[in-house]
Amino acid sequence: MNGRLGLAVVLGALASGAAPLRIVTTTSDLAAIASAVAGGGAETHSLCSGREDPHVLQARPGMILRARDADLWIRVGLELEIGWEPAVLDGARNARIRPGARGHLDLSEVALILDVPEGPVTRAMGDVHPMGNPHYWLDPLNGRRMAAAIAERIAELRPDLADAVRANAAAFQRALDERMFGPRMVEAVGGDALWSRALDGTLDAFLDEPSQRDKLGGWVAAMRPWRGAAIVTYHRSWIYFARRFGISVIGELEPKPGVPPTAAHLAALEERARAAGVRIVLQEPFYSPKAARRLAERIGGRVVTVAGSVGGEREATDYLALLDLIVRRITEGA
Amino acid sequence: MRTAHWVTILTLASMVLGGRAVRSQAPSVPAAFRRSLQAFNPDVSAIVDLYYHADDSREGVGHLLEEIAGFGHAHDDGDGHRHGPEEGFNLRHVELYVSADVDPYFKGSAIAAVDVHEAELETAEIETTALPWGLKLRGGKFYSDFGRINPQHSHQWDFVDRPLIHRLALGDHGLNDIGLQLTWLAPTPFYLLAGVEAFQGDNEAMFAHRGEQPLPSREGPRVGVGWLKAGPSLEGPHALQFGVFGAVGRHQEEHDGDGDGEPDHWLDGENAFWGGDLVYKYDASRPNGEGDFVAQAEYFRRRKDLDLVAHDLRPDLVGRVRTDEQDGYYVQAVYGVAPRWRLGARWEQAGLINESELPNGARESFGVSHRASLMVDFTPSEFSRIRLQVARGSYATEEGREEAFEVWAQWMISIGAHGAHKF
Repeated sequence: MNGRLGLAVVLGALASGAAPLRIVTTTSDLAAIASAVAGGGAETHSLCSGREDPHVLQARPGMILRARDADLWIRVGLELEIGWEPAVLDGARNARIRPGARGHLDLSEVALILDVPEGPVTRAMGDVHPMGNPHYWLDPLNGRRMAAAIAERIAELRPDLADAVRANAAAFQRALDERMFGPRMVEAVGGDALWSRALDGTLDAFLDEPSQRDKLGGWVAAMRPWRGAAIVTYHRSWIYFARRFGISVIGELEPKPGVPPTAAHLAALEERARAAGVRIVLQEPFYSPKAARRLAERIGGRVVTVAGSVGGEREATDYLALLDLIVRRITEGA
Repeated sequence: MRTAHWVTILTLASMVLGGRAVRSQAPSVPAAFRRSLQAFNPDVSAIVDLYYHADDSREGVGHLLEEIAGFGHAHDDGDGHRHGPEEGFNLRHVELYVSADVDPYFKGSAIAAVDVHEAELETAEIETTALPWGLKLRGGKFYSDFGRINPQHSHQWDFVDRPLIHRLALGDHGLNDIGLQLTWLAPTPFYLLAGVEAFQGDNEAMFAHRGEQPLPSREGPRVGVGWLKAGPSLEGPHALQFGVFGAVGRHQEEHDGDGDGEPDHWLDGENAFWGGDLVYKYDASRPNGEGDFVAQAEYFRRRKDLDLVAHDLRPDLVGRVRTDEQDGYYVQAVYGVAPRWRLGARWEQAGLINESELPNGARESFGVSHRASLMVDFTPSEFSRIRLQVARGSYATEEGREEAFEVWAQWMISIGAHGAHKF
């Protein structure tokens, strides 16, 4: 974030007597991106801490107070927060942030969504999200799109902050692009061009060109040796990250979403993992490590435990630091 | 072109009816449109709650609870069937729940409760979503929001049955009536929610209205309720909330003093209850509820203050007053001992104060009933639960003290889009 710009916004707000925009997000990842975009023009608070699982959070009176005072509510959507968000919004009596109001921003509307069920959906399949997999913030491209959407919504609610938040979002995207591809690559090719190639599937071939290889840095360079690798995860929460870096997730420790691992399922998974040459079992710290350890031991792989959300571990201080940490954990000791 | 429209419409219809995602059949339907279509349809869900109950009392605990000294006789619901658990299998009514935002201003919901004998409207309510200053108006037939247990539906409880004092003082349905509620979320740095409610007055145990000679006819609304809920704004895994509540309302009773099957004296007056509640929650943030802890307690006290308006056998007593004063409390705690497994304990007493003053001047004092319950439940998913509960109770009945041991086994499910639960 541009500190001087943030300071200018604060001073500007004080001078004009305008109160800072109060942003409440359901998860810490959204809060991290929102505060990078809003800078000093807003107070941002997340209801879910990053150490908590947003699926199973419970509505608490403190959340209602936050929602009562919010000008902008940002959620992941796709029914991730369905168990508690409606109770908080109903309890808060704040018409500005109810679904449908301009103060309610559902970022799944701008994100690229995977795992939208194609056939009939029943709950016999476990805790399936019928509108798609909600863990989309772990795709850096979605992080980029989320920042832009947040900036546009703030600009709409508070035209006086429009220029500042658009500049902040651009700075955030630039920083993200540099962490993703390395500063030299972004300098030479441009972030937008690189992401268009990622979208149309020509990125890998482009990066393999001898003239581009030495410019590549960042997460893509670090994850390059892992392209084509197969992994197992605890919950189907790493699909976006894996897809972005060319890793395939061949199965989950959970037999069905939300259902704890069983011995029979682990035995079947072990065979598939062995056949696919899985070396990594990846999971968030809030899940029990027992099943992961057992499987890793049997297939001769290792368990990678890493936060899937900002604040889930001490090092994951913001969105870029979270992705830094995930890349480091996966690639270290390899 | 026309065919394409029909394909779209049929696919959308099948999606709505069968919960199908349409992407594979109709890729032309934009995601935003699909979402908006879903949003216009009300959330529909059903709850099926089957339980088995057995006890070792002489006539069954369901009967025993209607004979507790000081808490009066059972008032027949009018439909002939008695409430409370029966020995063996019980199907608690199936709740069919529909809810949706009506427009930008109102939200509506209704629950039809269907059981083997009858169907009734459990709730049907409208609430505002756009009033300023933290206000919300709610109207229809709904559960009073006083305390912890009363606003909750039976499937949300941590034990199979209603706490003793609630069961004895307000009957099997709690305070659920037709009326209006205004609540206010104060702009304070801590949580403060205040509510006032006016109800027509239709609770057999505390706020009944017969309105037939010799009883006077009283116009509604006949019951007023007020409550406050407050809690500090704690960050992190802790949550705490206190509540106080009180209610006043008109009440009428008819009694059969000589046991000939015909009422022979009638009472009319004013009843009131008040009390407090407390809940502490710890959210361990581990998957499947492991380590979560909830402790909850409520104290409830009531006073009945009724005039004898007519007495066929003792006309000399007409105009005299009958007063009753009773109280009770429960304390319960539930802990997530393992993923998906919870263990709970509840201790309760009713009738610590248990006195009646009769129209003939006689004062009566009755004993205390108490009950200890233990439960263990398994929650395979958010939508199903299996529970085993045992209880040991000692009841001060009109025919002396009776002990009873109870066993409950419960199996319940929720299908469809069920709304989020409040704190």
